[in-house]
Amino acid sequence: MGPIRIEPQKALDEALKLQQKLSAGTQTLRSLDPVTFGVTPKEAVYRDDKVTLYRFKGTKAPTAKTPLLICYALVNTPYMVDLQDDRSMVKNLLALGQDVYLVDWGYPDGSDKYLTLDDYINGYLRRCVDFLRKSHDVDAINLLGICQGGAFSLCFSAIYPEKVRNLVTMVTPVDFHTPDNMLSHWVRELDVDLFVDTLGNVPADLMNYCYLTLKPLRLNQQKYVGLVDILDNKTELENFLRMEKWIFDSPDQAGEAFRQFIKDFYQGNKLLKGGLRIGDKAVDLKNVTAPVLNIFAEQDHLVPPAASRALQGAVGSGDYSQIAFKGGHIGIYVSGRAQREVPPAIHDWLAKRS
Amino acid sequence: MASNSAQDWMNQWQVLAQRYWDGWKSQGVMPPNGFGKPDANAPWQAALDQWTQLFGQSAQQSDLVDRVAANAKSYVGLMQSLLNTALGQEGGGSAMAWTEALRNGFNVPGMDPALWNNPLGAGFRDLAGQGAKGFEQLMAEFGRGAAGPFRQELLANLGMPAFGLAREHQERWQQLGAALVDYQEQTNRYNALILKASQQGFDRFQSKLAEREEPGRQLDSVRAVYDLWIDAAEEAYADIALSEEFRKAYGAMVNAQMRVRSLIQTEVEQQTRQLGMPTRSELKGVEKSVQELRRHLKAQQESAAADLSGEIAALRAEVAALKRELAGVKPAAKPETARPAVAKSTEAAARPAAASKKTKR
Repeated sequence: MGPIRIEPQKALDEALKLQQKLSAGTQTLRSLDPVTFGVTPKEAVYRDDKVTLYRFKGTKAPTAKTPLLICYALVNTPYMVDLQDDRSMVKNLLALGQDVYLVDWGYPDGSDKYLTLDDYINGYLRRCVDFLRKSHDVDAINLLGICQGGAFSLCFSAIYPEKVRNLVTMVTPVDFHTPDNMLSHWVRELDVDLFVDTLGNVPADLMNYCYLTLKPLRLNQQKYVGLVDILDNKTELENFLRMEKWIFDSPDQAGEAFRQFIKDFYQGNKLLKGGLRIGDKAVDLKNVTAPVLNIFAEQDHLVPPAASRALQGAVGSGDYSQIAFKGGHIGIYVSGRAQREVPPAIHDWLAKRS
Repeated sequence: MASNSAQDWMNQWQVLAQRYWDGWKSQGVMPPNGFGKPDANAPWQAALDQWTQLFGQSAQQSDLVDRVAANAKSYVGLMQSLLNTALGQEGGGSAMAWTEALRNGFNVPGMDPALWNNPLGAGFRDLAGQGAKGFEQLMAEFGRGAAGPFRQELLANLGMPAFGLAREHQERWQQLGAALVDYQEQTNRYNALILKASQQGFDRFQSKLAEREEPGRQLDSVRAVYDLWIDAAEEAYADIALSEEFRKAYGAMVNAQMRVRSLIQTEVEQQTRQLGMPTRSELKGVEKSVQELRRHLKAQQESAAADLSGEIAALRAEVAALKRELAGVKPAAKPETARPAVAKSTEAAARPAAASKKTKR
């Protein structure tokens, strides 16, 4: 018996359906409004060059006494955590009583190409944290680091342990040399000095191209074939476009920060192995003494679960917990399962340590 | 295609095509020649071109439309190819025959023959954004000149010694030429691995299809076949992409491209300097200075703020001490002088916030 048995009628139905969807798409695509993301009201409470610290406003006053600061990666904008009304980690955390802040790193331009990791971590991030400590009259805050922002948060917690009360890391790479880490594998032979000296800031398009080539057919073909299925559904199409906008509306990377991140993290694996310095300050994960909640995604193709799991045993904290989420690098924020599981897990974990 | 004859199938295909174009005609679109015939020259792909034209050039979603159309073309190419195979085999084809059908489905008429049997390569070409076009076009132009019989001559010329007034310029151009040749070689090495990944994708697809020959596991839709192909191709690609060979080839290609870009920048800089325009190097120097000044300013501001808050804390402590003294039982107690009190509170000044904070844990 052959492996494919497509009944003629079913094949015809498939072709007919394709035709109907395309036909409907001619109307739907024309009726779409421009999409935006970042839906929860927020107030800029502190600015530092292009960096803005926002405080989100929930429908009720926060009950948590310690502010929760979200530190996102430099790649992409941070609004994946507040994509749309029914897919917002921020909104759900606010509803649970958290007082949520977010660092928006802004869009670096040519004048920012000499920003270093020292500027980002010992400069911008520290000043944001100090602002919150002062404005809330607390010694330490809760820090939630995401992806590269998680690596930054680990560095920060190791350098300034007295300023971090609880640390949550999400899809955060710690061991950059796990065998399944394709990005790390590719940049190992990169002459990053030549790369940065040539490009200056690293263009967002180049970064996105690189990410797409991690799964070229799934991310650049299958996704758009699948899009035909929703061409007749305005809401789903807008959701798709919103995600599409978020993916490709990305900041360029400040050249010097990129240079150090590739050299020390991706090539040298110093966050885990040791020897990492941010500016004049040594980073030793054993100095991370705050309670740590490490959340990673089991189907993450950008930060493989093993790269995150390595945090266990690497930090000095005696209070370490981890959650393996059934989903991917983006699904951990925007999927229906994520809305149900992730914010409550973070809130409950923090509540027990408040 | 188990239950109907090839002719039945052909008839239904024609009816479908007619229905398809009845819809479009109402919008003023005429079908391309040969549409609806399975053996015609990619009629469904032509129809998708027509579909994109409905949006014109200024449509807000034009990029999305282009992407949908480009990928739907691959999909309908697969559909067409599977249907042609089904017509010939009445549903009983082997995994190998279906794999061949799939392979043919990706070789769309009119595409670059270099990308035949290489869907990954075609995908990568589609993936490149507008930002990369200028550089890719430059390389394509150079590639035509540097290929074939002229290659050896070009390499020999690039090694010639330079003399006289323009020798420095000539050496730079020779370096640029050599870098271009190297980039082309590294790109070829990389492309060979992408082609290998495509071929292994077909092999893997064939293996996956063979697993589906068991009763009850057959694929019963074009989409299911397509999804299985994507799984197979991605697995094969991941194997190659995680190999030592790919890692070296990828790094070498990127490094080679950066050398070319860097040397082109040097040439542009030469020209702009001669025209009296600011150069990239000069701008970088300014940007670096600005960043250093920015750091210095922030450090000074923070230091000044710390000093000020320390002084305020010291004064507050002094006032508090005076109030305590005034409210004390001994009204005749002698107040401390201002200076020692400030000096005394230096330690408090170092950690003013901690001293006055209420802990809110």
